[in-house]
Amino acid sequence: MPESAELYFNVDHGYLEGLVRGCKASLLTQQDYINLVQCENLEDLKIHLQTTDYGNFLADQTGPLTVSIIDTKMRKKLCREFEYFRNHSLEPLSTFFTYMTCSYMIDNVILLMNGALQKKPVKDILAKCHPLGSFMEMEAVNIAETASDLFNAVLVETPLAPFFQDCMSENTLDELNIELLRNKLYKSYLEAFYKFCKNHGDVTAEVMCPILEFEADRRAFIITLNSFGTELTKDDRQSLYPTCGKLYPEGLCLLAQAEDFEQVKRVADHYAVYKPLLDAVGNNNEGKALEDVFFEREVQMNVLAFNRQFHYGVFYAYIKLREQEMRNIVWIAECISQRHRTKINSYIPIL
Amino acid sequence: MGSLFRSESMCLAQLFLQAGTAYECLSALGERGLVQFRDLNQSVSSFQRKFVGEMKRCEELERILAYLVQEINKADIPLPEGETSPPAPPLKQVLEMQEQLQKLEVELREVTKNKEKLRKNLLELIEYTHMLRVTKTFVKRNVEFEPTYEEFPPLENDSLLDYSCMQRLGAKLGFVSGLINQGKVEAFEKMLWRVCKGYTIVTYAELDEPLEDPETGEVIKWYVFLISFWGEQIGYKVKKICDCYHCHIYPYPNTAEERKEIQEGLNTRIQDLYTVLHKTEDYLRQVLCKAAESVYSRVIQVRKMKAIYHMLNMCSFDVTNKCLIAEVWCPEADLQELRRALEDGSRESGATIPSFMNTIPTKETPPTLIRTNKFTEGFQNIVDAYGVGSYREVNPALFTIITFPFLFAVMFGDFGHGFVMFLFALLLVLNENHPRLNQSQEIMRMFFDGRYILLLMGLFSVYTGLIYNDCFSKSVNIFGSGWNVSAMYSSSHATKEHKKMVLWNDSVVRHNKVLQLDPSVPGVFQGPYPFGIDPIWNLATNRLTFLNSFKMKMSVILGIIHMTFGVTLGIFNHLHFRKKFNIYLVSIPELLFMLCIFGYLIFMIVYKWLVYSAETSRVAPSILIEFINMFLFPASETIGLYPGQEHVQRLLLAVTALSVPVLFLGRPLFLLWLHNGRSCFGVSRSGYTLVRKDSEEEVSLLGSQDIEEGHNQMEDGCREVTNEEFNFGEILMTQVIHSIEYCLGCISNTASYLRLWALSLAHAQLSDVLWAMLMRVGLRVDTTYGVLLLLPVIAFFVILTVFILLIMEGLSAFLHAIRLHWVEFQNKFYTGAGTKFVPFSFSLLPSKFHNNDLA
Repeated sequence: MPESAELYFNVDHGYLEGLVRGCKASLLTQQDYINLVQCENLEDLKIHLQTTDYGNFLADQTGPLTVSIIDTKMRKKLCREFEYFRNHSLEPLSTFFTYMTCSYMIDNVILLMNGALQKKPVKDILAKCHPLGSFMEMEAVNIAETASDLFNAVLVETPLAPFFQDCMSENTLDELNIELLRNKLYKSYLEAFYKFCKNHGDVTAEVMCPILEFEADRRAFIITLNSFGTELTKDDRQSLYPTCGKLYPEGLCLLAQAEDFEQVKRVADHYAVYKPLLDAVGNNNEGKALEDVFFEREVQMNVLAFNRQFHYGVFYAYIKLREQEMRNIVWIAECISQRHRTKINSYIPIL
Repeated sequence: MGSLFRSESMCLAQLFLQAGTAYECLSALGERGLVQFRDLNQSVSSFQRKFVGEMKRCEELERILAYLVQEINKADIPLPEGETSPPAPPLKQVLEMQEQLQKLEVELREVTKNKEKLRKNLLELIEYTHMLRVTKTFVKRNVEFEPTYEEFPPLENDSLLDYSCMQRLGAKLGFVSGLINQGKVEAFEKMLWRVCKGYTIVTYAELDEPLEDPETGEVIKWYVFLISFWGEQIGYKVKKICDCYHCHIYPYPNTAEERKEIQEGLNTRIQDLYTVLHKTEDYLRQVLCKAAESVYSRVIQVRKMKAIYHMLNMCSFDVTNKCLIAEVWCPEADLQELRRALEDGSRESGATIPSFMNTIPTKETPPTLIRTNKFTEGFQNIVDAYGVGSYREVNPALFTIITFPFLFAVMFGDFGHGFVMFLFALLLVLNENHPRLNQSQEIMRMFFDGRYILLLMGLFSVYTGLIYNDCFSKSVNIFGSGWNVSAMYSSSHATKEHKKMVLWNDSVVRHNKVLQLDPSVPGVFQGPYPFGIDPIWNLATNRLTFLNSFKMKMSVILGIIHMTFGVTLGIFNHLHFRKKFNIYLVSIPELLFMLCIFGYLIFMIVYKWLVYSAETSRVAPSILIEFINMFLFPASETIGLYPGQEHVQRLLLAVTALSVPVLFLGRPLFLLWLHNGRSCFGVSRSGYTLVRKDSEEEVSLLGSQDIEEGHNQMEDGCREVTNEEFNFGEILMTQVIHSIEYCLGCISNTASYLRLWALSLAHAQLSDVLWAMLMRVGLRVDTTYGVLLLLPVIAFFVILTVFILLIMEGLSAFLHAIRLHWVEFQNKFYTGAGTKFVPFSFSLLPSKFHNNDLA
C-alpha cells in the first residue's frame, strides 16, 4: 500500500527526515553570500563561515589557509553528516543511500585509473578522491588493466558490480577507454537508480524521477558536446546516453546525429524544459556557461524537493545542495585567493 | 513596593572610552556586570569589525589551550580548577602570555611528535618480532602443501629446501609477509585469490595478543600472514593488494640463521627504544604537569578577553578615532557604580583623560530588569516562561509567590502529601550549597531550581489539607467532632418532642443500612468544627456530595477573586503609563462587567451560607435557578433569597449591559477625539513605548548628537522614532477583539477555575482508592501473618504514593496552576512583550572547565 506512506514513513525515517530538513535550513543564505563576497582574504572567509553552520570547522588549522584545505574540510563535514544519516537509516532508505554514493564511487575509480595511467602515486590521488565515494577495494583499482579485470578482481563485491554488465571488454584501458567506461558505468548506474526510485513508487518516485531524468539528459547533452572533435563514432556516442531521461528515445537519436552546438540546440527546441536552458547559454563571453545553466536548474529542482514530505528525495537533494554550496564557496575562495574579483559573483545562488 | 513589583527603570547611557583605556574599562564593567551593550555596528559583518585581529588572537590562544587541555587529559593529569576567577589579563601581559603559550605548544608538539614516532617504531618492531615468531611454523607447512599444486612437480619434504627447488625450476619464489587487521582478512584473501588466480599460497594465523594500530592508536586483533608466490608480475600485484588493505609488510628472512639474527637485533633495539620512550614520556609529563597548573586561569582569562573584544566590536569610533563610543542600557540605580567602574578602569590603565559617560534620552523601549534572589527567581521564571514583562509593567511574579502555591495546594490538598513534599523541598533548601546538587542534571536540576516553589507548595498543601481534613485520604479528629450520634436516639429525647422529628430506635438502626443524622434535632449538631471539615464526614456516604458542593463554590469564589485582582492590577499599569482614560474606559467597565455578574454570584453563595440554617434549609432556593432567572426574567414569581431581589438583579443587569458598549467603543472614540481635537498630544497606541514625555529640546539634541557622531539617522535603525499613523479602524478592531475576548473570557475563565475542584476531587479520590485497595487489605489480615504481609504492602503503598500521588498528581496540579496563572490571571493585565536585560558580565561566561567547551 504505497499510497499511505504518510502513515508509516515516520516510523522508520521520520527522525532522519527531520534531521535533514534541519540541515537544509542551515544552508548559507543570500546574505551570507553577500558577506562572503566582500571578504578580503581567506582568513576573513574563515571568520565569516564561523558564524554560519560550518562553525569552527577550520579551528584546528595551524598553517596558512588554502582553498584546498577549506574544500577538504567542507567535504569531511558533509561526509560526516552523510555517514550519520546512513548509519541511522533503515531499508529501503539505506539502499537509496548506497545508490547515492555510487556516483562518487564511479568518479573515484575513474580518477584512480587515470592516475595509474599517468603513473602518479596512489597516495596523491587518494587525497583527491571524494570521501563519499571511498571504499576499501578502491586503492587496488590500478592493478587492473582491462575493464573485465577491474570487474573480476576489484569491484565484484562492491555496489558498482551490477553496472558493469555492459562494459566488459578486454581492451586495455587507455584514456579514451576509461572515459567510455565512466560513461557506460554512469549510464547503467543512472538507469538502475531510476528504476529503483520508480519501483519504490509514491512521493519518492514523483520527486526523484524528474531529478534523475534531468541528470540523464544533462549527461546526454554534455557527452554530445564533449564528443565533438574526438574520434568517438556516432554509434558509440549513442550507446553512452542514459536512457531514462525525457530525451529518450527520439531526442537521443537526434542528439546522436548532431554535429555542432547549433544542432544540439535544435534538438533541445523540441523539449520545453531544455529550450530555455540552452537558449540562456551565450556565445563565448556573454551569457552563462552551459554547465552553470544546468547547475541552476538542478538547484531549483532540489529546492523544490523539500516542498513534499515523506520521501527520500530530500536526502538526495540536500547532499546535492550542499555540494553546490561547497562549489560556490570554493569558487569564491578561489576568486579571493587569486585576486580575480570580476567573476566572483558568478556562483550559483541556492534559493 | 520593592523592585519585584515593577522592573527597574533603565536609562540609555553613552560611554566615551578613550582608545587606550577601553579594554580596562570593559574589564571592570564585565566584572561587575552592570550594563547591556547595544550593537552599534549591526550592518557590519563580523570580519570587518574593528577588533577582528584581537579576536583572531584570542581564538588562536583558545586553540592552543584546547590542545593543551587535550594533551593533559590524554596524559591523565588532573586539572586543578581555581576557586576564584582571575581578572582579564592586562594588555601588556597578553603578548607575553601568547609567547609563552606558543612556545609551550611548539615544545609539546615536538615532544609528542617524537614520542609518537618512537612509539610507532617500537610497535613496528614488536609486530616484526611477532611475525617472525609466528611465521616460523608456516614454512614447514608450506612445504607440505606444495605437492598439491599441479603446476609444480612434487618436492621432497626435507627442511627449507623449497626455495632452492624453485630456483632450479626457473621460477622465482617470493615471500611477502606481514600483519593485517583482523576485519580485513577475508576480503584480503578473496581479492588475492581473484587477482592472482590462485598462484599464491596464503597462510595466516591469528596473533594471540592484540596490538595497537600505529595510525589510529586503537588496540585491535591482528593476523600474521605469509604469501608465497611465483613470478615478478604476481609479486607486483600482491604488493599492490597489500598496500590497498593497509597491511604492515616486513621483510621475510630466507634462512633460519637470518631469522635468528634479525630476531636478536630486534630484541636489542626494542630494549633501547623502551628506555628512550620512557625518558621522553617522563619529560612530556613534566612539561604537562607544569602547564596544568596555569591552564585553568589561562582559559578563564582568554575567555574574558574574548568577551571584552566582542563587546568592543559593538562600539563605534568617533570622528577622531581616539575615542570609542558605546551605548549601553544601565539601571538608573547602578549609574554611580557604572561611573566608579569607568574610573577604576581608567586609573588602572594610567590614562590621563578619564573615560566618562552621559545619559541620553531615548524613545526606545529599554530592556526589562527585575532583580531576583534565590527565592523569587523560581517564581519569576514561571512568569518569564509566558513572556518577559514589558518595561515597567506590573510584574505578576510578586503575587505569584503566594497565589501560585495556593492554587496548587487547593488542587493538591492533603496534608500528608503536602508534608512529604515540604520535607523534600526543605532538604533541598537546607543543602542548597552542596556541590552535587548544584551540578545535577535534567530532572533533579528542575526540582533543585524550583526548590522554593516546592517548599511553599508543600506548606500550602499542608494548610489546605488541614482545611479538607485529609491526610493520606483519612481525616484527623483533633478537636472532636461537632456531631453527636447518640442524640439521634429517641431515648435521649423527651417523648413530646418525638412527633416533630425522625428519630432512631433499635429497630431503625438494625434494619436500615444507611442512617441519616439530622442537624435540626437538638443535640445532634453541636456547632461547627473549629478548623476545616468535620472528620465525621469521612464516615458519611454522602461525603462526596457535601465536599463537591463546597469545593465547587470555593473554586468559583477563588477564581473570581483572582481574576478581579488581575483586572485591578491593570489599573496600576494605566496609572503608571499615564493613561488615565484607560481606567475609566477599560478597567472600570471590565470590573463592573465581572462583578455585576460573577461578583453577584459570590454574594448569593455567601448569603445563602449565612442566612439559611439547618432548620430552614428545606426552603432555601437553588442558587443555580436564581442565577439563571436573573437573566431570563421568568413570568412566575420565585421565592428569592431576599426581598427586593428582582430590582437589585435588574439594576445589576442594566449596569452589565451598559458597560459592554463602553468597553467596545469607549477607548477608540476617545482616542479619535484626542486625535482630532488635540493632535499635538502624541499618544502612542501600541504597547507602552512612550515612557517619558520627550520635549522638543531633547529630540533636537538627539539629532545633533547623531550628526556629531557621523551617523546617518536614516541608517541608524536602533534609534528610529516610530511616529505611528493614527488608524481609527485598527484601534477599533483591536479594542473590539479585546472586548469580545474579555466578555466571553469572563464566563469561560470562571468555568476554567472549576479545575480547582476537579483536580482536588481527583486527588482525594485517588488517594482514597489507594488506601482502600492496599492498606485496608493489609490491615485486615489477622495478627499472626499480618506483620509479614503488612511490610510489603506498606512498601508498595509508599512507592505508589510517591510516584502516583506526589509526582504524577503533583505535576498535573502544577501544570494546571501554571495555566490558571498564565491564561486566566495574566491575560487580564499582563502584556509580556519585553526583552530581558542581559548584562555584559563575566559571571555569565561558562565557568565550567570541560574540554568540550574548548574544542
